[in-house]
Amino acid sequence: MSDLGAMALWIGLALSAYAAIGSILGQMRGVPALVESARRSVYVLVLAMLVATLSLIGSFINRDFEVAYVAAHSNLAMPDIYTWVAFYAGNEGSLLYIAFALSVMAAIALRWAPASTRDTLPYTTAALMVIQTFFIAVMGFMANPFDKLPLTPPDGEGINPLLTHFGMFFHPPALMAGLIGISLPLSFALGALVGGKGRDEWVDAGRVWGLITWVLLAGGLLLGSWWAYTILGWGGFWFWDPVENAAFMPWLVLTAFVHSVMVQKRRGMFRMWNIVLINVAFGLALYGMFMNRGGPTPSVHSFGASDLGWVFLMFLAVGVIVPFGVFFWRYGLLKSAQNLDAMLSREAAFLVNNLLLLGIAFVTLWGTVYPLFVKLGGGEEITIARPFYDQVNGPLLLALIFLMGVGPLLPWRRANWGSLRRALLLPGSVAAAVVVLLLLFVTRSPYALIGFGLSGMVAAGIALEWWRGMRSRHRSTGENYPLALGRLIAANRPRYGGYIVHLAVVMVGLGVLGGSLFEQQRDVVLSPGESYEIADYRLTYVDTRQAVFSDRTEYLATLEVYRDGELLEVMTARRSFYPAFNMASTLAAIRSTPVEDFYVVPSENRPDGAVGFRILVNPLVWWMWAAGPVLIAGTVVSLWPERRRERAAAGLAVQRAAVAAR
Amino acid sequence: MASESSSKSSLTGRSTKALAVLLAVAFCCLALAVGAAYAQTPVPAYDEAEAQSIDRMLICPVCPAESIDQAQVPLARQMRQQVREMLAAGSSRQEILDWFADRYGPGVLAAPPKTGVNLLAWTLPVVGVLAALVAGALAIRAMTGHRRPAATARESAAVPEGELEPYLAAVDRSLSLPDGESPAGDGGPGAEDDRNV
Repeated sequence: MSDLGAMALWIGLALSAYAAIGSILGQMRGVPALVESARRSVYVLVLAMLVATLSLIGSFINRDFEVAYVAAHSNLAMPDIYTWVAFYAGNEGSLLYIAFALSVMAAIALRWAPASTRDTLPYTTAALMVIQTFFIAVMGFMANPFDKLPLTPPDGEGINPLLTHFGMFFHPPALMAGLIGISLPLSFALGALVGGKGRDEWVDAGRVWGLITWVLLAGGLLLGSWWAYTILGWGGFWFWDPVENAAFMPWLVLTAFVHSVMVQKRRGMFRMWNIVLINVAFGLALYGMFMNRGGPTPSVHSFGASDLGWVFLMFLAVGVIVPFGVFFWRYGLLKSAQNLDAMLSREAAFLVNNLLLLGIAFVTLWGTVYPLFVKLGGGEEITIARPFYDQVNGPLLLALIFLMGVGPLLPWRRANWGSLRRALLLPGSVAAAVVVLLLLFVTRSPYALIGFGLSGMVAAGIALEWWRGMRSRHRSTGENYPLALGRLIAANRPRYGGYIVHLAVVMVGLGVLGGSLFEQQRDVVLSPGESYEIADYRLTYVDTRQAVFSDRTEYLATLEVYRDGELLEVMTARRSFYPAFNMASTLAAIRSTPVEDFYVVPSENRPDGAVGFRILVNPLVWWMWAAGPVLIAGTVVSLWPERRRERAAAGLAVQRAAVAAR
Repeated sequence: MASESSSKSSLTGRSTKALAVLLAVAFCCLALAVGAAYAQTPVPAYDEAEAQSIDRMLICPVCPAESIDQAQVPLARQMRQQVREMLAAGSSRQEILDWFADRYGPGVLAAPPKTGVNLLAWTLPVVGVLAALVAGALAIRAMTGHRRPAATARESAAVPEGELEPYLAAVDRSLSLPDGESPAGDGGPGAEDDRNV
């Protein structure tokens, strides 16, 4: 089984190297057959990667401990369902997953590439396949998942207990696919530049793949937070951990990219800027992979710590130098078609939004590397963690939310203050009302006032836009309101999908504000039968049941939650101890409502039967998790392909703009 | 401790009086000490919220990149206890952080102090972001500025554009395009209403 996989890996290496060289040579020498065969070998490559993947999965299911990777990441006690998680739990397997994901995305992107990119597609193919070749080569020569042990052990070491969680089925694969997925918009941009078509031909493909990787990263980050919240046992969801940051930074830059690419799509501006953004995003993604695999900073993600650090550092260097080299080489192509008309315009708002997003990414990068600089400079060991990011990035994030409320209300080209004032009247009054209500009844914390006020403004602004559009359709076409809303969204999907995503961001914002500013947390030790009161809840610890498994002992604490003397729920919180890892993993009992989460997690089981609990009341955190589906739905709406008639209409809109500009 | 010695001493009747005196002295000392403690801090108990916020500013030395609030290892538990004891004894947040930094090295602080070389860690990103925003504003101004004459020319030419408006709206409607994104530019989100009335 594993031999088949190893073979498929080498075949995949040959195929991807051939595809890279063949498409370049074919294009330069003008041999269309060679270009075509290179492109087709990408499709065969998917097959090879699939065989390698299935063969590793097969080795896991057979518990083929002869394979070193299987022995290191599974054991007989592991339920089969965690095979999928064990697959990418270590360095070698995650590389295979990345190679597989990249080959699939590359094949789809090349097969359904927009007609406008056809001339430069060979260069895009080559760029993608160079990246692909790197990953397969690293696997083949340095971290082969199919390497065998000299002696077959009777049982494996088992999967890391922290990974046995539902969130782990999606969080790592989404993040890894998202990070490597940035190769796609990058390759379309590089292809267009190298092929001498640095204008707008690559923009459609770049936007689509930019959005796909954006939503993969966003979903992966949210799932990771959810995982941390339910299993890590401290009641928080984000710690600005170096590896969290590694995925967060490219996501920020991609966010900037998917906004500013709209400016290029509609107005032919920001051409250089978009190339810079996608290059930076790719560089940060490579930096993330470097940090993840033998990077120099400590992190709770001990995953994949390995001696591959220098290889990924070199790849990072190449991955930054080459795209920027191409950018400077083709600099002359990238003149804007039009100039900015006014400081007060949607284009300018997009530019400021881009700068803020890059600013947050820069602060985050700075926080990750500064301790290294100090250490290299012979200084004392220092740490930069959450308090730093909260203080520096907090205001920037608030400014971003403000812009999210104002930007969409600005028209393209030129706004005037009068119309902006009128447009902001209602959202502004909603914000003021929120602030006044909070001041009267809840809090004086400036962060909360500004944060919730801005959230109210953004939500009101979006609601107003929808209502106006719906009403004007209703009046002009006589459609009933729901139909008018549906048609409104369908008629301009990028815009209304964007609004849905903005709403999801507001929801995440509510969760972050509520969970970090208003949480109440207590660490208590309770004996069976004892109660503890927090906020208006009373928690009674009933008893603990023990369940012994071959690899772990589970302590299941039964808890009763009362409010106003009324039993709300009987919950079970779990703490499992894994002797082989000398490690405990917890699963919090959470009673989650849109108002607040009541959260209990056992932190220690004392010999006398008493249990240490951490109890939290976390307001509004529910909204953060609810935002995930909304965010995905919004992205799907804005990605949904337009029908031909609408495309023609869009073309007409461009002509109309030209007429109006004259 | 005092109560234990008193119960023992009750066995020997003679020294009861002497011990009572001793106890009284001890109680006085205790009262003085407590009084002094009260004088230093108006509240003897600590504020749990403050304790938690201090926990979050300290990194657990034995776990990678976790604060002592997060970490569940015994050392983190001891450190949390220490924070609470020091708070109850009247130490300020800064004193507690300094104490831990002395003991475990500056790496124990979750963010470097805003002094000395480490001021750079705080100021550089702020300066960088501000510089980028200023540069962005200047770039926009430069782009819009040198086209000012052209822009005014277009504004004066905007009159026929206004006449086009009903025609464009009709085209929009027939193509079921949303009216919101008016490329003509001057129509804010408010403008579309007027068009449809």
